[in-house]
Amino acid sequence: MATVTLKGIKKVYDNKVTAVHDFDLEIADKEFIVLVGPSGCGKSTTLRMVAGLEDISAGDLYIGDRRVNDVEPKDRDIAMVFQSYALYPHMTVYDNMAFALKLRKMPKDEIDRRVKEAAAILDITQYLDRKPKALSGGQRQRVAIGRAIVREPQVFLMDEPLSNLDAKLRNQMRAEIIKLRQRIDTTFIYVTHDQTEAMTLGDRIVIMKDGFIQQIGTPQEVFDEPTNMFVAGFIGTPQMNFFDGKVVKKGDGYELHTHGAVMELTKAAQEKLKAQNITEKDVTVGIRPEHVHLAEASKATLGAKVDVSEMMGSEIYLHVDADGKDVVLRIPSTELPSEWRAGIPYGTQIAFTFPPELLHLFDPETEKNILL
Amino acid sequence: MRRSSMSKALVRRETISGYLFLLPSLIFFVGFVVYPMIMCVYTSFFDATMGKDRQDIFIGLQNYKDLFKDPAFLKALKNTLVIVIVSVPVTCAFSLWVSSAIYKMRGPIRSAFRCIFYLPVVTGSVAVTVVWKWMYNNYYGIFNYIGKGLGIIEKNINWLGDERFALGCIILILLTTSVGQPIVLYVSALGNVDNSLVEAAQVDGANDLQVFWKIKWPQIMPTTLYIMVITTINSFQCFALIQLLTSGGPNHSTDTIMYYIYYQAFKLYHYGYGNAMGVILAIIIAIFSAVQFKLAKADTSY
Ligand SMILES: Nc1ncnc2c1ncn2[C@@H]1O[C@H](COP(=O)(O)OP(=O)(O)OP(=O)(O)O)[C@@H](O)[C@H]1O
Ligand SMILES: [Mg+2]
Repeated sequence: MATVTLKGIKKVYDNKVTAVHDFDLEIADKEFIVLVGPSGCGKSTTLRMVAGLEDISAGDLYIGDRRVNDVEPKDRDIAMVFQSYALYPHMTVYDNMAFALKLRKMPKDEIDRRVKEAAAILDITQYLDRKPKALSGGQRQRVAIGRAIVREPQVFLMDEPLSNLDAKLRNQMRAEIIKLRQRIDTTFIYVTHDQTEAMTLGDRIVIMKDGFIQQIGTPQEVFDEPTNMFVAGFIGTPQMNFFDGKVVKKGDGYELHTHGAVMELTKAAQEKLKAQNITEKDVTVGIRPEHVHLAEASKATLGAKVDVSEMMGSEIYLHVDADGKDVVLRIPSTELPSEWRAGIPYGTQIAFTFPPELLHLFDPETEKNILL
Repeated sequence: MRRSSMSKALVRRETISGYLFLLPSLIFFVGFVVYPMIMCVYTSFFDATMGKDRQDIFIGLQNYKDLFKDPAFLKALKNTLVIVIVSVPVTCAFSLWVSSAIYKMRGPIRSAFRCIFYLPVVTGSVAVTVVWKWMYNNYYGIFNYIGKGLGIIEKNINWLGDERFALGCIILILLTTSVGQPIVLYVSALGNVDNSLVEAAQVDGANDLQVFWKIKWPQIMPTTLYIMVITTINSFQCFALIQLLTSGGPNHSTDTIMYYIYYQAFKLYHYGYGNAMGVILAIIIAIFSAVQFKLAKADTSY
């Protein structure tokens, strides 16, 4: 239970690779922070610097009020769950979990109490005498988590703990981590490259790319107000659609031209554009698949031809070709005409549009969101 | 029906060709390992002399009985055990110490160290022994020179000719030639220890020493076991050094079983007697190795 503060943290590896640039983040006590981003963006590096397994090249790291840049991992009072679990193969599950406590010379009965309690929480009591080799992936995962929770650490670090599990087990463990989090109530830093995990677990999400923080915010914030095209594209499945477009000043307001359609913008959006003294500007329009809907062809719709329709049960994923642009639509099956419920034939001509309050506008050059 | 009979034929064909491939090495193994071993045990029950015209006389266990009354054999046995008991732990500890110091170094430096320690292994015992013989020399040896220079010894010591020092000197040479391979093995074993285990232990609160003994040591146990076994066998079979340096002297103080076998069998032509010693040596080595396996197994099973 402690705050964690990263001030201008930077990591340059021996081979001159700068893996993390100027990382600034204040993590509140008992907050669940998720670091998310594509492979190689520096998530693990950041986590390992917090753990003390990697030197910090520049900047300051505080756990609580203590600056810990030069404190060894063993004195930081953190626990970490590794991607490979890193269970000690020569020790039983019990000894794996008791290891840290024994090192701290905790009384035997206290160790026993904590291990048994954690084992009960994680439902691994019957495996306590086994060696890790004799456990399944999911069970090893639980032991790894158990080894961390018996410590009752100030900060809990997890590096892609679920990535070695199959899809079903992953969903199950994700739910368990949410439950666990309510029980043990400490500060978490969780690394993943899976945006679903990030969205479901995090109080706040830190989205990274190439060693730079792209955005920090609650799941709602990063979903509704992505600061740039990278975040917009990274969060949400299927990915957000992007079109080329243009905003044009018309009288006192603005309208949006894209692929032949002319759309209105919200009052708030028009105010933002006005504040930036824009008269005419090329933009990238972003709209999430679930926010697109079919419509009668009109001035405000885009025309497209159906390529593939994927029936997912409650909804249909429609891949269409709009003017040579691949666009994905997510349409609840109940909104489809009955002849299309089972799938829409290839080549069908459709028209679609989207509500102005749900679209995003980005500067095509800087890729920044211009409506924020 | 047809299918299963076909696959049976296939299996038979594979088995036969398997044995055919094995045949050359099998012949070699039987001819040069199994047969001599049996002959060794067999002749140990005879008063065998390797002489052309003399008939070997069956004497049952007499050779073995004589052995345990032979003070020279008992002395050789004692010397051999001393060599083993000193050199196995020292070799293991020293090579572990060197390896854990060098395995984290950069590639070229690590290779240089490995090379230095491995050199005596590949140099060949005759060359190494010649150098040591010179270093131990009574008149112009470097040990006497340095010892006197530093004031540790007053007058020249005849290292190899003095009962008090000879065995120690032999053990010292044995050590230099036997640490090479363990170091190479340990360096790679330590390098192969999963680093995330080490990191997990550090995060769990272990200091460097605890990481070493509680994580790395159990991980390299199989290597330690292997090193102990080969060093034990090598030490038991210490022969060339003795032959080249002291011929067992002075006063049998550097006799080893291996050397005494050679002495009895090939110098005195007590062939059966020598073979009886060989059998006993083999039994002792087997017991030692089995015990080491048992002890280490208890620690390594995972
Ligand atoms: N020990 C190292 N030496 C040099 N460069 C490294 C080292 N470890 C990582 N890097 C580099 O630093 C960058 C960030 O790596 P990092 O492991 O933090 O990525 P990540 O976000 O955790 O990716 P992943 O999702 O694949 O685990 C990468 O470009 C990587 O190549
Ligand atoms: Mg990583």
